[in-house]
Amino acid sequence: MFRFFGFRALRAAITIVMVVTFAFVVLRLSGDPALLIMSVDAPPEAVAAFRTSWGLDEPLWVQYVRYFAAIFEGDLGRSMRDGRPALDLVVERIPATLALTIPALFIKLGLGIPAGITAALHRNSLLDRTVMALAVAGFTVPSFVLGLLLVLLFAVQLGWLPSGGQESWRHAILPVVTLGIGGAAVLARFTRSAMLEVLGQPYIRTASAKGVPWRQVVRGHALPNAAIPTVTIIGFMVGSLIAGAVVVESVFSWPGVGRLLVVAVANRDLAVVQCILLLVAATMVTANMIVDLLYGLLDPRLRNAPRGAGG
Amino acid sequence: MIARRALLATAAAAGALPRFAIAQADQRPSVTIAVQKIANTNTLETLREQSNVGSRTWNSYAETLIDVDWLGDLGLLPSLAESWRRIDARSLELTLRDGVLFHDGRRMTAEDVAFSFGPERMGWEMSTEQARNLFGGVPGQGQGRAAPPEVLAIARRTYPGFEKIEIVDACTVRFVNRTPDATLEGRLTRNTGMILSQAAFGNAATWLDHARKPVGTGPYRVAEFRPDQSLTLEAFDDYWGGRPPLRRIRFIEVPEVASRINALLSGEVDFACDMPPDQVSTVERSARHQVVGGHIMNHRLTVFDKNHPQLANPLIRRAFTHAIDRQAIVDALWGGRTRVPKGLQFDFYGAMLQQDWEAPRFDLAEARRLLREAGYRGAPIPYRLLNNYYTNQTPTAQILVEGWRAAGLNVQIEMRENFPQVLSRDGQRGVRDWSNSAAYNDPVASLSAQHGPDGQQWQINEWRNEEFGSLSRLLESSVDLEERRRAFRRMLEIAEREDPAYTVLHQTVNLTAKRRDLRWAPGQSFSMDFRARNWGGAA
Repeated sequence: MFRFFGFRALRAAITIVMVVTFAFVVLRLSGDPALLIMSVDAPPEAVAAFRTSWGLDEPLWVQYVRYFAAIFEGDLGRSMRDGRPALDLVVERIPATLALTIPALFIKLGLGIPAGITAALHRNSLLDRTVMALAVAGFTVPSFVLGLLLVLLFAVQLGWLPSGGQESWRHAILPVVTLGIGGAAVLARFTRSAMLEVLGQPYIRTASAKGVPWRQVVRGHALPNAAIPTVTIIGFMVGSLIAGAVVVESVFSWPGVGRLLVVAVANRDLAVVQCILLLVAATMVTANMIVDLLYGLLDPRLRNAPRGAGG
Repeated sequence: MIARRALLATAAAAGALPRFAIAQADQRPSVTIAVQKIANTNTLETLREQSNVGSRTWNSYAETLIDVDWLGDLGLLPSLAESWRRIDARSLELTLRDGVLFHDGRRMTAEDVAFSFGPERMGWEMSTEQARNLFGGVPGQGQGRAAPPEVLAIARRTYPGFEKIEIVDACTVRFVNRTPDATLEGRLTRNTGMILSQAAFGNAATWLDHARKPVGTGPYRVAEFRPDQSLTLEAFDDYWGGRPPLRRIRFIEVPEVASRINALLSGEVDFACDMPPDQVSTVERSARHQVVGGHIMNHRLTVFDKNHPQLANPLIRRAFTHAIDRQAIVDALWGGRTRVPKGLQFDFYGAMLQQDWEAPRFDLAEARRLLREAGYRGAPIPYRLLNNYYTNQTPTAQILVEGWRAAGLNVQIEMRENFPQVLSRDGQRGVRDWSNSAAYNDPVASLSAQHGPDGQQWQINEWRNEEFGSLSRLLESSVDLEERRRAFRRMLEIAEREDPAYTVLHQTVNLTAKRRDLRWAPGQSFSMDFRARNWGGAA
C-alpha cells in the first residue's frame, strides 16, 4: 500500500511541477503583465515602473527560480493587480464555484447514469434512441450556447429566473442546469456503452441461463462491471470541480474560480494563474488516486494483480 | 375595551412604522449598470487606474478642481474651484468652492487640495530603490500607505512641470509649475487630479485600502467595491451640488455582450455599456429599450513602424493613408453614427483647432502613384491585429486590407492575442491599430503625449522624427498662441503627411443600451454623469 501511494504521489508531484513550469513559460512568453494590467495607453514610465516593482525586468530564469523557491516556502505569490496573496484570492472564490459544480455533479450523476442504464437495457428501442438523441444534443451543444438559450427562454422570455450574477440561490439555477446537462449527456453515453459491453459478456448469459432474475443479474453482475469506465469519467468530473466552470461562469457572470482564471490569464497575473493551476492539478491528481483505489474495490482482479502484470 | 387581536395588530403596526417611515423618506430610484469591466487594476485610485473602463465611474465619487462640460460644448466648467485666473505662464490661482464636504463629513480645505497633489498621494519623493520594494515586492509584509511606483510615473506624466501647490489662504491655492505651460487649466481637468480627503487617506491602513475606497466629494460615495464583480455607490446627500437624484448606483461586471443585453432585456439591469453597433437593432427591437451615445474624444488610428524595410520609405506610408476609404468604414460598420475627424485633433481644442485640416483623401490612383515612385514591388508588410480589442476592429481591418490590396500593397494580417504581442520587437513590426484620446483641450494631450518624445510610439522606437520632437517640446512649453498654432500645424504636416507616424480612421463611438424611460444622456467621453443635471429632464 505504501509503495502504491508513494509511486502515485511521486507521479503527482512531477505532474504538478510540469504543469506549473509549462504555465510559467507560456504565460511569460506570450504577454507582458505590466502592459496588460496598466493598459496600452498608460505612460511608458508607469509600465516600466510596474515591471521593476514586480521583478519582471529580471531574466526569465531568475524569475522562475525565485517563484519556485517561494513555493517551497509556502508562498504562492501575490496578484499583480492588487497586491493580495494569490492563494487568498483563489480560496475566497472556491465556494462560489463549488456552489455550481457540486449541484451540477449531482445532476450529472442523477440524470446521466440512469439514462445510460435505461438506454442500454432497452437497446435499439424508441426509448434508447430518444435518450441517445438527447445525449448527443447535450454533448455537442457548447455550454455557452446552451447557457444563452436557457437565459433567453427562462430569463428574457418567461422572466422566471435571473440571467446572471450571484445574489441568491435562484441565480445558481441556470448555470447549474447548463453545467449539469452537458455532463449528464457525457455520462449517459459512457454508461450505455459500458453496460452494453457487459451485457454481452458470457457470464451475464450464464447467470440468466441459471435462472437468476434479470433485475438481480443487472444489479449484481452488470452494474458493478460496467461501473469501472463510468468511475473514470466521474473521477475526471470530480477533479474538475474547482475549475470546471470557466465558460459557464463567464456567461452567467458568476464570480468563481473560472472567471478569476479568465481575468488572471488575460492580465498575465502569473501568481494567480499558477495558484489556480496548482489547485486544479492537485485536485485532479487526488481524484485520479481515488479512482485508482476504487478500481481495486470494484474489481478484485485489479486489487490482487501482481505489480508489473500489466493494467 | 380593546380586543386582544386589535391590540396585537396595533403593536405589530407600531413595530413596522419606523421602517416604513424610513422607506418613505427616500423615494429615489436605484440603477444597476452592466459593464464589461469595472477596473483594470482592481483599484479606484485614478493615479493607478488609467483605463477607459475606470473613467466611467470615477466622476461619481470624486471631482477635480476644474471640470469639462462633457454633456455640452466641452468647455471648462467650475467644479471644486469656483474660479481661476492666470498669475503668469507658470502659475494658476484657483478659488476653492466653499461648503464642500467629503464623504467622511469633513469640510474640504486648501490643505486637502495640497495633499491631493502632494508627495503623500502622488509619490513625488519616491526613489527608484523604494519602488522595487513597494506594494507587491515584499510578500506578506504590510506596505503602509506608500503608493506603488506606477503612481509616481503617472503623476509625472500628467503634471510634468509640477513644482508645488501654494496655499494662499483658506479658500485660495496656486498651482505652480517649474516651466511655462499653456495647458495648466486643461491638465487640472484630468482625473488624476481628483481631490481626496487627507484625513481619510491618513486613516486608511494601507494604500490598497485607500485605493479601494477613496473618499472624495462626488455626489455618490463608494459603499462597496468587490474587485472583478461589482461597485456599489450610494447617494451622498450632503453633496455641494444638491441631493443626488439616485439612491444607489450599482455597476456589475458582465463580461459577455450577449449576457449584458439579456440582463437588460430581462429587466435585471437598467443600463448595459459597451454595445457594439451590430447589437443596436437587437436591443431596439424591444420597445422599452434604446441605445444612446455617439462619438467621444478618442480617434481610431492605423500606426506605422518606420523601421520596417518597406515602411522606412515615407512614400509607402503615404500610399497607405490614401488607400483607406474612411467613410465606407463609418457607414458600413458604424451605421453613420460617427465621423471622419480632421486629423488627430478634437473640436474642443478651441483656438488651437486647425479648421481647414483634413484626413488624407481616399485616392487609389494617388496611392498607386506613390508606390510606383517608391519602387515598391509587393514585399509583404505585416499587420499585427487583435481580435476586436477595439469595437469592430476585425471588420475594420478587413476593409483596410482590401483597400490597401487594391492600391497594390501586400499587407499580411497576423493575429495576436494581446498588446504586448503586437508591440513585441520579436519579428518585424509593420502596421497596427491604436486609439488616441485627448484628456484635455489641447493638442499636447494627444499629438504630443502619444507621438512626441515621451509618447509610446517614440518610446518603443516605432516612429521618431527630430523636427517633430523639437516642435513637441515647443508646444508643451510655449504660451504664445500663434507660435503654438504654427507648431501644431507643422506637427500635423509631419506626422500625417510628410513622414506619417499614423493615419486617423474615424472618431470612436461609445454606445450604451438603456431603459427608454430613464431620462439620462451620455456625454462625449466614457464617463457617466448621474448628477441632477443629467437625470429626469426632457427626453
